[in-house]
Amino acid sequence: MHGCTGRVTNRRGDKAMDQKKQKEVLILATKAGKIMMRSGAEIYRVEDTIERICRACGVEFVNVFAMPTGIFVSINNRDQDDTVTYIRRIRSSETNLSKISSVNNFSREFTTTDMTVEEGMKILDEIENGRKYPFWFRELAAALVTGCFSVIFGGGPPDFGVAFVAGAGCYMLSRFLEKYEINFFIRGFVCTAFASACALTGEVLIPGVAYAHIVAGCIMLFVPGVAITNSIRDFLSGDMVSGLARMTEALLIGISLAAGAGVMIKAWVLLGGAILW
Amino acid sequence: MVTILQQFLLALFATFGFAIIFRVPKKLIPVSIIVGALGWITYLIAVYYFDSPVIGCFIAACLVGLCSTIAAYALKNATTVFIIPGILCLVPGAKIFYTMEALLRHDYAEMTETGVLTLMMAGAIAMGLLVMGACTGVVRALVRKTVTLKDKL
Repeated sequence: MHGCTGRVTNRRGDKAMDQKKQKEVLILATKAGKIMMRSGAEIYRVEDTIERICRACGVEFVNVFAMPTGIFVSINNRDQDDTVTYIRRIRSSETNLSKISSVNNFSREFTTTDMTVEEGMKILDEIENGRKYPFWFRELAAALVTGCFSVIFGGGPPDFGVAFVAGAGCYMLSRFLEKYEINFFIRGFVCTAFASACALTGEVLIPGVAYAHIVAGCIMLFVPGVAITNSIRDFLSGDMVSGLARMTEALLIGISLAAGAGVMIKAWVLLGGAILW
Repeated sequence: MVTILQQFLLALFATFGFAIIFRVPKKLIPVSIIVGALGWITYLIAVYYFDSPVIGCFIAACLVGLCSTIAAYALKNATTVFIIPGILCLVPGAKIFYTMEALLRHDYAEMTETGVLTLMMAGAIAMGLLVMGACTGVVRALVRKTVTLKDKL
């Protein structure tokens, strides 16, 4: 998977690393790990990256234990009394595959060239502050996702239109809630409830629209594909705790989506909306 | 009805949307959306032949896993970048909704059926990725062993 072969020893500095240098290396490595973990990388990749970066700086013993909520790293050298340990708590996360790819390339470059720790830190800062696609573009993309899925699930052109608008609205709402650090369960619930409301309104106002296709399309936008994929990859590499954690996350997201749509549709019926079955 | 070609295009656009939202690097977008659309078409064809969404998901997930590994190897990038957009079309989002809808209709038989199908489809995707991951792991280990053997000789 990685282009690096063998262990690179002590190209940066002398054998007896002082405490300060060790700390810098640790901070660099955990920063790389943190960026990857927050962007939705699997555990194996995070641990491997941290270990490679430490080894490339001439650390002899590295032990990494990473979880979706935190990273623990201990490093030690043969001629050294104390082990240096660093714990990094990881809170929010947002899938950003570009950052994973960049850090991946960075670690390959760092381990195979003579880059100093300071330069590495600078590059990591750049990666961390890397820009996303502009908001209107992501909004359009979200609308495209929901529109296309509503057609895939059997809708027609009018469904596409309503789903397009509903999807844009949902995504905007989701970003808004994320800004106020509302947790993922509530976010999924509120967003699908909003999508259902849009779909039901659309069905009343526009002839030839079926709300089911639109809601199904909007749910696809929030579906826990990343959590499922990562949990499997974690299980595969033997990180059982993280695999279980992410599997539970996927299940909870699924339940929150279903609950949001269900509650809204039920409320619509109870409030006397014209429906359907 | 929507034809296979139209389905392919729709899946292409849908995956493109996901690729933007999840910020796939610009250069890799074409490959990742083709992987996603291929996965969806494979799913449709498999459902047509085997008449079971679960088997469809399994085969499609295998294909996505394989294509992603090859693409990651060829383009020297992380496998995740291709797998995540590729797998998203297969995740049974619509089934989640139909489970809920059956529950609201008090149709518990259908709710159970759809609910179990949803879980099984998610499980099938997981199995597909698992099997493909295990296979590529074995292949990689074999290749590495051959390379080191050659170095020794």
